[in-house]
Amino acid sequence: MVNFTVDEIRGLMDKKRNIRNMSVIAHVDHGKSTLTDSLVSKAGIIAGAKAGETRFTDTRKDEQERCITIKSTAISMYFEVEDKDLVFITHADQREKECKGFLINLIDSPGHVDFSSEVTAALRVTDGALVVVDCVSGVCVQTETVLRQAIAERIKPILFMNKMDRALLELQLDAEELYQTFQRIVENVNVIIATYNDDGGPMGEVRVDPSKGSVGFGSGLHGWAFTLKQFSEMYSEKFKIDVVKLMNRLWGENFFNAKTKKWQKQKEADNKRSFCMYILDPIYKVFDAIMNYKKEEIPVLLEKIGVTLKHEDKDKDGKALLKTVMRTWLPAGEALLQMIAIHLPSPVVAQKYRMEMLYEGPHDDEAAVAVKNCDPDGPLMMYISKMVPTSDKGRFYAFGRVFSGKVATGQKCRIMGPNYVPGKKEDLYEKAIQRTILMMGRYVEAIEDVPSGNICGLVGVDQFLVKTGTITTFKDAHNMKVMKFSVSPVVRVAVEPKNPADLPKLVEGLKRLAKSDPMVQCIIEESGEHIIAGAGELHLEICLKDLEEDHACIPLKKSDPVVSYRETVFEESNQMCLSKSPNKHNRLLMKALPMPDGLPEDIDNGDVSSKDDFKVRARYLAEKYDYDVTEARKIWCFGPDGTGPNFILDCTKSVQYLNEIKDSVVAGFQWASKEGIMADENMRGVRFNIYDVTLHADAIHRGGGQIIPTTRRCLYAAAITAGPRLMEPVYLCEIQCPEVAVGGIYGVLNRRRGHVFEEAQVVGTPMFVVKAYLPVNESFGFTADLRSNTGGQAFPQCVFDHWQVLPGDPCEPSSKPYQIVQDTRKRKGLKEGLPDLAQYLDKL
Amino acid sequence: MFYIIGLGLGDIKDITVKGLEIVKQCSRVYLEMYTSILGSSLEEMQEFYGRPLLLADRDLVEQGADEILAGAGDEDVALLVVGDPFGATTHTDFILRAKEKNIPFKVIHNASIMNAIGCCGLQLYKFGETVSIPYWDETWKPDSFYDKIKLNRLHNMHTLCLLDIKVKEPTLESLMRKRKEYMPPRFMSVAEAAQQLLAIVEKKDALERNTVLNEQSLCVGLARVGQDTQQIVVGTLQDMRGTDMGGPLHSLIIPAKEMHPLEVEFLQQYATNIKLDDYNH
Repeated sequence: MVNFTVDEIRGLMDKKRNIRNMSVIAHVDHGKSTLTDSLVSKAGIIAGAKAGETRFTDTRKDEQERCITIKSTAISMYFEVEDKDLVFITHADQREKECKGFLINLIDSPGHVDFSSEVTAALRVTDGALVVVDCVSGVCVQTETVLRQAIAERIKPILFMNKMDRALLELQLDAEELYQTFQRIVENVNVIIATYNDDGGPMGEVRVDPSKGSVGFGSGLHGWAFTLKQFSEMYSEKFKIDVVKLMNRLWGENFFNAKTKKWQKQKEADNKRSFCMYILDPIYKVFDAIMNYKKEEIPVLLEKIGVTLKHEDKDKDGKALLKTVMRTWLPAGEALLQMIAIHLPSPVVAQKYRMEMLYEGPHDDEAAVAVKNCDPDGPLMMYISKMVPTSDKGRFYAFGRVFSGKVATGQKCRIMGPNYVPGKKEDLYEKAIQRTILMMGRYVEAIEDVPSGNICGLVGVDQFLVKTGTITTFKDAHNMKVMKFSVSPVVRVAVEPKNPADLPKLVEGLKRLAKSDPMVQCIIEESGEHIIAGAGELHLEICLKDLEEDHACIPLKKSDPVVSYRETVFEESNQMCLSKSPNKHNRLLMKALPMPDGLPEDIDNGDVSSKDDFKVRARYLAEKYDYDVTEARKIWCFGPDGTGPNFILDCTKSVQYLNEIKDSVVAGFQWASKEGIMADENMRGVRFNIYDVTLHADAIHRGGGQIIPTTRRCLYAAAITAGPRLMEPVYLCEIQCPEVAVGGIYGVLNRRRGHVFEEAQVVGTPMFVVKAYLPVNESFGFTADLRSNTGGQAFPQCVFDHWQVLPGDPCEPSSKPYQIVQDTRKRKGLKEGLPDLAQYLDKL
Repeated sequence: MFYIIGLGLGDIKDITVKGLEIVKQCSRVYLEMYTSILGSSLEEMQEFYGRPLLLADRDLVEQGADEILAGAGDEDVALLVVGDPFGATTHTDFILRAKEKNIPFKVIHNASIMNAIGCCGLQLYKFGETVSIPYWDETWKPDSFYDKIKLNRLHNMHTLCLLDIKVKEPTLESLMRKRKEYMPPRFMSVAEAAQQLLAIVEKKDALERNTVLNEQSLCVGLARVGQDTQQIVVGTLQDMRGTDMGGPLHSLIIPAKEMHPLEVEFLQQYATNIKLDDYNH
């Protein structure tokens, strides 16, 4: 029985201070979906007894079968918070007066790195994140990735230590060891937070602290959880200490001497850590009594902790009884709800500091101000972060967050895609919203309108947007910023229909696939091949399955996966490269040279970008990379796509009319850096200098038609003469396994050109963590290979980490890069062989 | 022998007698048709010359010179150019290429817009640097020709503005792809040129004290010079913006500040609603 109605939810949507938009994020298999069940069951959407087993938010059949979340799923829930807990919410903008009801819009996201684009999309529309960590495995690579993303999007985190049942039952850790484990995880998480967040920044202090109640402990599977607040409340009367003060005593270096009844700050022979004594001991006792069938102790204990068993539960014993007792004593939903309501920000609070990260336009225009104030009466500003398939094949709900104003059924809006430029007409549609809907996990509910601060779905928008976009009623509105993904689509396969007549179905299917996944790219090569590019093997596997079964519904032929490469150079061009325009009246002189190490990454991360003030950027480049300041000021543009890790620099001395050809040179550069000379792949880490330009006296004879192709030829000549190299993508690979399996891992990695750079035991467990770099090209079948060589004990997580130069000269026919270049050219339908310098270089 | 033959401005009959004789005897004749157009169609030309013509577009002339020059050492090949071979369109590179290959060549001259504009009465001696006014697009709005007009005016010289012609120009988007798509042919009219000039005037006015041109500046619009339907209009830039002078090609002249009395008198024939004598420009 659902505990609330859509009307109740709609009512709460106007109480924007009582809204919490949150995502659940974690490493794969740390128990996000299972934990989410506790909240869903508290809301009455699933039965309490089923919580922890249903994984309600894993809506797809393959998600249930594989026990892995693939798509993020949103659900809106209504809760009431008790008066005694409401007093903990002190910030005026964190609760409405006289209103107990809270609306929680929760998004459960996938943990597998291949699907982290789903996490990015989820984070964009939420303000807080519940970070789940398996207390046995600790902080893993994906925990760090998602946490880093959350901080970058200005999402406030709270922490949950999951799988305590395993720590107690399997690892049999004693109380002090378990405390140390918790302490270490909290520290690790805070180190990550501190690395990416500045305490003095707009979000303020965001670190998690058990003594403040922003860290939860428990077991999602068994449905129980607590924060120090719960225990503090139990004891505060007994100790006659205020709940808040007691919470501080229950964590950290606080010890209690039972004999002297005194609190101490150091460990001594006859005192005990308060956390162990007052929190872990009772839990341990319950576990011990029930799991070791100490029949006579159980009733005594149950009375102490105030749990009365229902009649039908009386016969249970062992694990079943343990579950029932624990979830009656410390219901997970309650603890989570309190953490969320007290510690996560409301949209009113969050949008104040998030606006500047979200909005591309001036920070004082009407839209910006409305977003900042989360103003439901301002102009509508809504960001669509992803498309969710509907039961109607080929149609999608546009899912997103209303940041200001109201979105309503039938409302006429401007739908702006990511390429929309204010004042222009491209990528802009003015259409009416067919219907607004509420996302409820497996179900949707129609709703009249949705005010600012809420998450909802829209019907009838999907045909105007590819993946994401901005919806507004303000005619001068700029776009909301596009999302930056932490993974790149580096693995690709070619697909074709088994029956050639099905090609139109494939094309239509690819369109739908591109819509349904925030990250996947569907490309048509010059050769006519249809390429699907994804983050990893698993991601591609799911995409192909969806394409075959849901989107195209035809049998497909798939090529072996291949990776995309980057083209770079390793030295300065060995000659000045001259290219003449087709009419021979214009000449360009350029050289290429590699960027210093670290600069391409700085550009990737946005530390150096086209949007920087050119003076500030030049100073940065001069200080960090020893660039000449005057030269560095004259970066014309970045590319490909205006933002990529290559740039073109004006080193000319007083050339007349140079600014009139700048646009054409920039266009030629975008083109050349997107389609490199060797294999038509993107360039990376190449700096081009323009040394001299000779132009025709008349503007007509130096237009784009003359300059763009010439720029491209000149850039290619410069690249060929600067020692071209290929770069391949490399995964950071984290493998967890018992000690015996470590040897097998090394064997597999060596065969695949991987190299281990860290190996450590997880403290407090017999598990080892091996970290290695593995070329993506060698990663196909890696998981299976690893399992078979370690008796199924090693489980890898691979996440794209960096680009690495592939040793060898691609112009040398015996080298590996040469082979790759030839294969790629062949696949793309380009002329085989090496590019001929004479085609690009002209004589004076 | 390689011949490069000017066709003049008017129609098919403007070719010189010498030129026509050569055309008749050549084994291949190319017609360059992207820098200017003649008042007659290709069919009319073929009929009049009594032989087939090969069309040479920009790609062929600029990048396929070898193809055109092939065999010109042994047989006669001609390239027909509207106007004069060394007039507004510069085919110097072609001659250099022929020289490089030791191909003998000959140039047959004809009238060019560069001298035919004398028809409006302004003395050719007093023209300064010629400029072209290119079609603007959304991002590419060159205005360097304005500075040249400024210098010409400063030195009391007339400025001939050739107006953009786009025949088989690839679109900017298709330049970035491997397959070329072409824009529909476009010829800039006097009205469009005046419009663009006034846009620059407006921009300059906002930046600096601009004394080169203004809305009331005098200009001469010419259409289809050398053809039977030739038309000349004298008026202010503002007037010109709203003047329709019919089919292509158009040219625009910005006269010098001070003109010879004869020049004024001649121009007055074409000025219907201004009295040039007391016109202060």
